[in-house]
Amino acid sequence: MNKFPVYKFILVSIAVIALSLLYFLYPATNTSFYPACIFHSLTGLYCPGCGSQRAASALLHGSFSKAIGLNILFVLCIPLILYSAFAYSWNVFSQKKMVQAVFYSPLFIKIFLGIVLLFWVLRNIPTAPFNWLAP
Amino acid sequence: MEQQSFQQPTNPPTQPKNWLVESILVTLFCCLPFGIAGIVFAAQVSSKWASGDYAGALQASKDAARWTKIGFFVGLGLIVLYIIAIFGFGFTAFWARRNNYNY
Repeated sequence: MNKFPVYKFILVSIAVIALSLLYFLYPATNTSFYPACIFHSLTGLYCPGCGSQRAASALLHGSFSKAIGLNILFVLCIPLILYSAFAYSWNVFSQKKMVQAVFYSPLFIKIFLGIVLLFWVLRNIPTAPFNWLAP
Repeated sequence: MEQQSFQQPTNPPTQPKNWLVESILVTLFCCLPFGIAGIVFAAQVSSKWASGDYAGALQASKDAARWTKIGFFVGLGLIVLYIIAIFGFGFTAFWARRNNYNY
C-alpha cells in the first residue's frame, strides 16, 4: 500500500471534522448558502453527486430515509468510504500494512462504474419509478 | 524504465495505486465528470495488472491520479470562487442563489 504521511492524515482529519460540524450545525437545504452543483446549474440535469450535501446533513441528523431519498448512491458508498478511511488510518500508525483488496478487484470496479453511470441516467428520467432517485 | 518492465514479470512489485476511493469522493462531492474518468482509469489499473501488463497499469495509475486531482482542484477552485463571489457581491449573490439552489 502507498505511503500516507502523518501530516496529510492530520490535515484530512481536521477537514473531515470541520466539514461534519459545519453540515451538522448548518444543514444544507434547498435554500442554504452552500455552493450548488455546477453540472446542475449549467445543464439542469442531475449528476451522480447531486443531493449529497443535503444527504450528508440528513445523515448527521440521523434521518437515514431522508438521506436515501436525496442520494442513495452516496448513502451506499458510505460503508466503502469508512472502510477505506479506516485502512488509511491503520496504515499511518501500523507497521503491518492493510491492503484495500476490494478496491483492486477489476470486477468490483467495473460493477461500480456501471452502477454510477446507470444511476446518472436513471435519476434524470422524469417519470414515477425513476424520479425517486432524483434529489 | 524499459529495464524495469522487463524485470517486473519475474518479480512483480505491489499493484500501483488505482485512486478508486478518491475518484468516488470526487464523483460524489465535486459533481464533475472528472471523477468518472478517474473510476475508468482505476478499472484499467486493476485489469491491466491482472493481465500482466505492468507498464500499462502504471500508466493507467498516473492517468487516474491526474483526473482525480484535476476533479478535486477544479471542484475546490469553484467553491473558493463561489465564496469570493458571496463576499464580493455581498448579499445579492447569496439571495440569487437562494432562489434556484439545487445540489
